[in-house]
Amino acid sequence: MTARTKVLFGSSLWRGAVSIVVFLVLWEIGSLSKIWIKGDAFEWLRHALSVLGLKSAYLPWIGAVPAPTEVLHAWLAVLPDPGYWQSWYMSFFRVMLGFLAAMIIGIPFGLLLAVNRTAFGVCFPVFEVLRPIPPLAWVPASIIFWPTQELSIAFVTFLGAFYSIVINVVGGARSIDVRYFQAARSMGSSRRDIFWRLILPGTLPSIMVGSAVGMGITWEVVVAAEMISGGGSQIGGTSGGGLGFFIWNSYVGGSYEQIVVGMISIGIAGFISSAALRALGKRVTPWLSLR
Amino acid sequence: MEPVAGQVLAEQAITILKQTMPFQVAADGLLRKIAALGRRTSYDARAVIYEAGNKADDIYIIVSGQVEHALEPGAQARRPVKLLRQGDVFGWAALLEKYPHRLAKAVSQETTDILRINGEDLLRVLESDPDAGDVIMSRFATMITRDYTVPDLIAQLRRIHRRMHAGDIQGMDLTLYRFRQWIRSPRPYLMLTGFALFLSVWYLSVEVWKLPRFREMPGLTTVIKEWANPNPVYGLSIYTPEYYKHIWVSIRRVAEAFALATLLGVPFGLFLGWSKKFKEYVFPVFELLRPIPVLAWVPLAIVMFIATESAVIYLTFLAAFFATALNTMLGVQSIEESYVRAAYCLGAGRWQVFRHVIVPGALPFIFTGLQISMGVSWFSLVAAEMVSGQYGLGYVINTSYTTVRYPTIFIGMITLGIVGYTTSALVRVIGDYLMQWRTRELALGGQ
Amino acid sequence: MAAVMRAEATQPSAIRGAITIDNVVKIYDPDGAAVMAVDHCSLDIKAGEICMIVGPSGCGKTTLLNAIAGFHEITSGRILLDGEVLCGDEKPKAEPGSDRIVVFQNGALFPWKTNLENVAFGPIMQGKLTKAEATEKALGMMADAGLAGVEHNYPGEVSSGVRRRVEIVRALMNNPKVLLLDEPYRALDSLTKSVMHEALLEIYYKNRVTIFFITHDLEEAIFLGHRVAIMTTRPCKPKKILAVDIPHPRDYSVLTSRRFRELMEETTEAVHEEALKAFAAGEKEG
Repeated sequence: MTARTKVLFGSSLWRGAVSIVVFLVLWEIGSLSKIWIKGDAFEWLRHALSVLGLKSAYLPWIGAVPAPTEVLHAWLAVLPDPGYWQSWYMSFFRVMLGFLAAMIIGIPFGLLLAVNRTAFGVCFPVFEVLRPIPPLAWVPASIIFWPTQELSIAFVTFLGAFYSIVINVVGGARSIDVRYFQAARSMGSSRRDIFWRLILPGTLPSIMVGSAVGMGITWEVVVAAEMISGGGSQIGGTSGGGLGFFIWNSYVGGSYEQIVVGMISIGIAGFISSAALRALGKRVTPWLSLR
Repeated sequence: MEPVAGQVLAEQAITILKQTMPFQVAADGLLRKIAALGRRTSYDARAVIYEAGNKADDIYIIVSGQVEHALEPGAQARRPVKLLRQGDVFGWAALLEKYPHRLAKAVSQETTDILRINGEDLLRVLESDPDAGDVIMSRFATMITRDYTVPDLIAQLRRIHRRMHAGDIQGMDLTLYRFRQWIRSPRPYLMLTGFALFLSVWYLSVEVWKLPRFREMPGLTTVIKEWANPNPVYGLSIYTPEYYKHIWVSIRRVAEAFALATLLGVPFGLFLGWSKKFKEYVFPVFELLRPIPVLAWVPLAIVMFIATESAVIYLTFLAAFFATALNTMLGVQSIEESYVRAAYCLGAGRWQVFRHVIVPGALPFIFTGLQISMGVSWFSLVAAEMVSGQYGLGYVINTSYTTVRYPTIFIGMITLGIVGYTTSALVRVIGDYLMQWRTRELALGGQ
Repeated sequence: MAAVMRAEATQPSAIRGAITIDNVVKIYDPDGAAVMAVDHCSLDIKAGEICMIVGPSGCGKTTLLNAIAGFHEITSGRILLDGEVLCGDEKPKAEPGSDRIVVFQNGALFPWKTNLENVAFGPIMQGKLTKAEATEKALGMMADAGLAGVEHNYPGEVSSGVRRRVEIVRALMNNPKVLLLDEPYRALDSLTKSVMHEALLEIYYKNRVTIFFITHDLEEAIFLGHRVAIMTTRPCKPKKILAVDIPHPRDYSVLTSRRFRELMEETTEAVHEEALKAFAAGEKEG
């Protein structure tokens, strides 16, 4: 066995795989509790549940969730539907839009605050006061303000990522070891030098972290906005609304398995974007991964 | 040769100080204090200013003239003889740790004007601004080793004692001290400017200039009038009890979810970080569930928890749990291996290491995680309340929109902001208190 | 074993902290990249001696220290402390313990405990002293080492020089046989370093522990050590062992003495040779 195969079949991978399998099995059993709990052997369980005030027709919580096998079936059924893929596209599009806007505006803004003390003193308190207001609370205000629904969703998405990016840029610039500044000053660097050669590269890692967190928030916001505002375009069914709308629609339509399909799809989509971001991050800050 | 004592014009002294290598970068305020220590003296040509072995108490700065500076062999300078001119600093033996006597012979070559500053007095002034003082002393060190070619070993400078000894400042005193520093800085005034700007933009764009986009938005005055109205047009103001009911409901939900998430998340995260086996078994499932946005759980949660109240709390809990557990795990992983190894070396057992090293070491990350978790809790709560549920600030905002009560939307948003900020600040304050060692370190070390 | 015990009974402080490194080999990742860090290295360190280990970066000297301390396994060979096997064929990894305490390169004082709590940590953990007793002893030892006044500060509030000294006192509280120092003064400026050297010697003269000191600074090595072992570049092996015959107690005048210069000349070439080899091999600092 070569070293490589040993790693592949190493114990840590096995353990992970085992736990996922165990998780799926438990899920399946729990979901199917509607069926097996009816058996005489489980009389005690039904009794215990009703004593606790819970429904005795199935195991609490997990019993209401569709089983993995059912979910798989639903998923296979929806794969050939172009509407499903359009939902993917719509959500991705919105995420990218909001995220890029947040980067383009957020990074320079953050750097400005980090470098200029006056700008920081003026803008940061306002920023910090507005930040605790969750982006979703802005949805109604955003709808009132922006002409199209798409733009209002984009604005809210932008807000979500914007805060995270700015905070991380400012934090990153501040955390550059003071001694680097002192060294630069005692060696006679100009302010320009200090900015381009010290602050900018020193802040890059934090920008990357801020984007990663921002990306996660962006997905949350997009999904929520899609659910709340009904998906933007009024095309019905599974098409056009984005994955959030897809989930909401499945709920309204009573197709619970599709809800889970939608959830997993978003999970995957989010994972893909984070992975892409991390890959980008490695290219921009190669020195970090070598540490 | 008798030095001529004189009264020194402060401005002139500051100008000269700015020409010297060590004091160049100091701020004017500090320079003023240093200049006040200066005494002007004058030497004729060929006068011996001092000899090697003399007691070293003052440093000398040349205002005009020329001085020949010859280091004795004990100083081990590579180039012992140096001709000094305007702006040069000598007599720095007064600042050395180990040599309270002169290392050189200094002879003036022509009529020379000197600014003398007592070394002890200078050090005391530098103590009032230790950060700047450190920079100045480093520059002295660089000057001595570079310009006077004296090796590092000889050129050991005295250390500046930081005036604040943390043993003197604790807890409340530290907070008061920082508050006093804050009030004296320009920061509070810039902050007020920022707010004023923001509010005036809002006011002007809606009510004065009536910009097109802002037509349907409620203006600043409308919102404030409504908020402070004993008889609010749209039903919600600081005078109505419903307002407080909504606030209370939201806070209660967040508190329950946050408490649950912390109680479960922190130990979970600690184990994830501490036990490799546990992590290998559990982390994959964790990471599989985490990317699913919490809000995507809403329909499923409604299905799972028939009562909407539990569904809302579950959703809030979920978001907070992931954030807390992850950050706690990262916190454990961030602990330097050497701390753990040192503990083992000193004879600690596994559980002792966990209690005395892992938990305190992860605390900073844990609290960052808790702050994030608090923010995330509010985020999820609002969303959950907007979608399903009665009462609560999210509910208020949503229904105000659907029932066209626009000013109330803003009241809800502002209230959310205040409450959210307060809860996060509370977490931070608790964290600062529990981690005194960090607060002190940051307070003294500065930024 | 019996012979050693008899010897200990008659001269309790004489044979205390003698380390025998016997033909030790350490290969990292044996089934994969198979990097040999230590190649059949044998070295005898006498009890109570200051043994300096000098070598280029990444040559494997820290691996040796880690093996003695019990942080790493060894692939073959054995290491003995006062005749007892620390690690060997049946037991590839030693147990970390308070008889061999490490002082780390970047300092490992617990930032969340005050200096006093740090110093008192060891005996309390081991249950050898109660908290009150340990605190009292710690106060005494800190005062002895000239550290009175910083007991209630946190490590983050004092200078790095003070931190190092506190760490050494923390180690000495446990009456170790050996102090393992892994380039402890590397991160300090030269102004503080010289003060540290004198402080270490002062402590040594009072306690006579065996000191195993890794450094890349030849001057530091010759100034402090009884013997200086110059190691080859990776894989690590003693290339040359120098006996420094300058008498203790030593102070700063030693640095400019003729004997010091002579010893420097003797060894500089050997060190430089290995440094060049390491440089050519592109060694990364460990």
